[in-house]
Amino acid sequence: MTSGKVSVLDIKGLTKTYGAVTAVDNVDLHIDHGEILGLIGPNGSGKSTFFDCSTGLATPDSGSVSLEGSDITNWSLNRIAREGRMLRSFQKTVVFKKLDVEENLVIAGQMFTFPSVLSTFSVGKRSRMRIEGLRKHARELIELTGLGPVAHMAAGNLSGGQQKLIQFASMLMPDPRLIMLDEPMAGINPKLVERVIDTIRYANREMGVSFLIIEHNIDVVTSLCSRAIVLDQGRKLCEGTPAEVIANKQVREAYLGG
Amino acid sequence: MNNTPLSTTASDPKRRNLRAPIVIALAVVALGAPMVLGTYAVHAMVIALIFLLPAHGLNLLVGYTGMLSLAQAAFFGLGAYASALMSIHLGTSFPVNMLAAIALACVIAVPLGIPALRLRDTSFVMCTLGFVIIGQAISKNWISVTRGDMGLNNIDKPTVGLAGYSWTASNPVEAYYLALVLAAFATWVFWLVVRSPAGRNLVAIRENETLAESLGIPTWNYRLAAFVIAAGFGGAGGSLYVHYISVASPLMFQTLYTTTMLIIVLGGGAGSITGVIFGSFLFVALSEGLRIAPELRMIAYGLSLLILVFRFPQGFAPFLMRIWDWAGGVDKKEGSA
Repeated sequence: MTSGKVSVLDIKGLTKTYGAVTAVDNVDLHIDHGEILGLIGPNGSGKSTFFDCSTGLATPDSGSVSLEGSDITNWSLNRIAREGRMLRSFQKTVVFKKLDVEENLVIAGQMFTFPSVLSTFSVGKRSRMRIEGLRKHARELIELTGLGPVAHMAAGNLSGGQQKLIQFASMLMPDPRLIMLDEPMAGINPKLVERVIDTIRYANREMGVSFLIIEHNIDVVTSLCSRAIVLDQGRKLCEGTPAEVIANKQVREAYLGG
Repeated sequence: MNNTPLSTTASDPKRRNLRAPIVIALAVVALGAPMVLGTYAVHAMVIALIFLLPAHGLNLLVGYTGMLSLAQAAFFGLGAYASALMSIHLGTSFPVNMLAAIALACVIAVPLGIPALRLRDTSFVMCTLGFVIIGQAISKNWISVTRGDMGLNNIDKPTVGLAGYSWTASNPVEAYYLALVLAAFATWVFWLVVRSPAGRNLVAIRENETLAESLGIPTWNYRLAAFVIAAGFGGAGGSLYVHYISVASPLMFQTLYTTTMLIIVLGGGAGSITGVIFGSFLFVALSEGLRIAPELRMIAYGLSLLILVFRFPQGFAPFLMRIWDWAGGVDKKEGSA
C-alpha cells in the first residue's frame, strides 16, 4: 500500500510557545514509509514538546501535521491513535498497574476492533469473539516481547524494563502505521535494551511499522535509525545519517556547550 | 490488588470447594429472611435493597471510572419525584413510572454531565454537590408541582401486572421480594456493563486516563456514558423508594442520602460488586437497626464507621475476596492476579 512519495508523517512549521519561551520553533519533519527516524538533542531542546504537539497531547500555535496526506493538526490524542493508527509512548513509562499484562494489551486493542463506543457495551457473541481475537493477538505479542512468563502478573509489579516492553507491545496491538517512542531505553538494564532494539526492528521489518524515536543513547540511534534530526533550543539544528549528525560540529557544541 | 474487577482466580482441586454451598446458603438466607425477621427488620432490608440501586451507579463512577460524584442523590430524588408525579397525575403503574424515571434521569444526566465532566477531581465533586442542592431547591420551591416541604403523599404501593393478573407489594414482606427481584436484576445489568469491553475501558480510565487516551479510547465519551448509566440506576432506586415509602419530599436531597450511598460504596469496596451488595446491607441495616437506641444511634453509627476505615481501609471487598478464595481452596499467596 505504498503510495509513491507521500510520507507517513509530514510536519511543517510546527511552533509552540509557553509564555516568552519558544519551546518549538518552526520545525519541519517528515517520516518516510518504513523509516526509523531518530530525534535527538540536549535536555530542554523541545523534543518532548514537539512530540506532544504532533500527537495531539498539546496544541501547536502554528504549523501543520499531516498523516498520510490527511491533516490531523487539531485532532485529539485518542482520535490520532484510533483513526490514524499512530501511537505514542511516554517518557515516564505508563502501564495499567493493577491489571495483568494480557489485560493491558487487550485494552490497547479494543478501540481498533470495535467500530464505536456504543458497540463496546455489547456482551453478545460477536463482542466476545472480538475479545477472544484480541486475547490471541495479545498472547502472540507477549511471546514476541518475551513477557510470556509474567503474562498474568499485575503490570505494576514488574520491573521498569518489563513495563517498557508492555507499553511497546500495547502499541503494536492495533497494527499501527507509525509509533513514536519517547526515550524507550531510558532507565532499563542493558540486557533489555537489546530486546527492545530487536523488537523495534522486528516491528519495522515484519509489520511495516514506521518509527520516530527520541533517544539519548547515541549507540541505539546509530544501530536503529537510517536518519536522525537534531533539535537545539527548539530549532532544527541538522539532519542526516546518524554518522553525519554525530560528526557535525554544531551538534557537538550544542551537547557540550548546552 | 483484589478490588480489580478483572482478576482471575485459580483453584486448587485438593480441597473441597465451598463456593457453591456458600452461594446456596446466601440465597436461602435472602429468600427466607422475611419469614424469620420482624417487620421492622424486614423494612430495613427493603431499604438496603433499594439503596443498592443508586449504589451500583455510584460504584460505576467511583469504583470503575474513578470519578467521585455526589449527584447520585439528585438522580435518586429526580426519579422519586418523576414517579410520584406520574402516579398522581397520570395514574400510571409502577413499572411504567420506573422506566420513565430511569429514562428521565438518563436524559437529564446528559446536559448536566457535559459541563460537569470538564471539571476534574475536587471541582467535579463540588459541581455534583451543586446538582443535589439545586434539586432540593426545586423540590422545595416549585410548590405548584412538588407541594414544597409538604411533599407528595399517598403514592400508590408498587403494583406489578402481567397478563391480566396484578400483584401489589402492600406490606414490607411483599416489598422485600419485589425489591429483591429488582435489585438482583439491577445487579445483573451492572455486571454486564462492567464485564463488557466498555467496562474494561472504564477501568483503563480509572487507572490512567492519559494512557487510555493514547490507546485510542475516547475517555470523555466513556465518562459521560458512565455518568448517564449511573444516573439511570439512581432514578430506578428513587422510583422504587417513593413507591415503597409512598412519600416524596425535599428530604430526599438531604446529605444523609448522599452519604449513605457513599458509605455503601466506599465501605463495601469501590470497584467490587459483592462488596457493594454487602455494604448496602450492612450500612443500611446498621443505621436502621440502631434506631432501637435513638439517642445513641448516630454516635454508634459514626463509631462503627471509624472502626471500618481503620480496620478495612479498602472497604470489605478484599476481606470478602479472601473468604471467597478460601472457600474455593485457593491459597493466600496466589489469591488473584
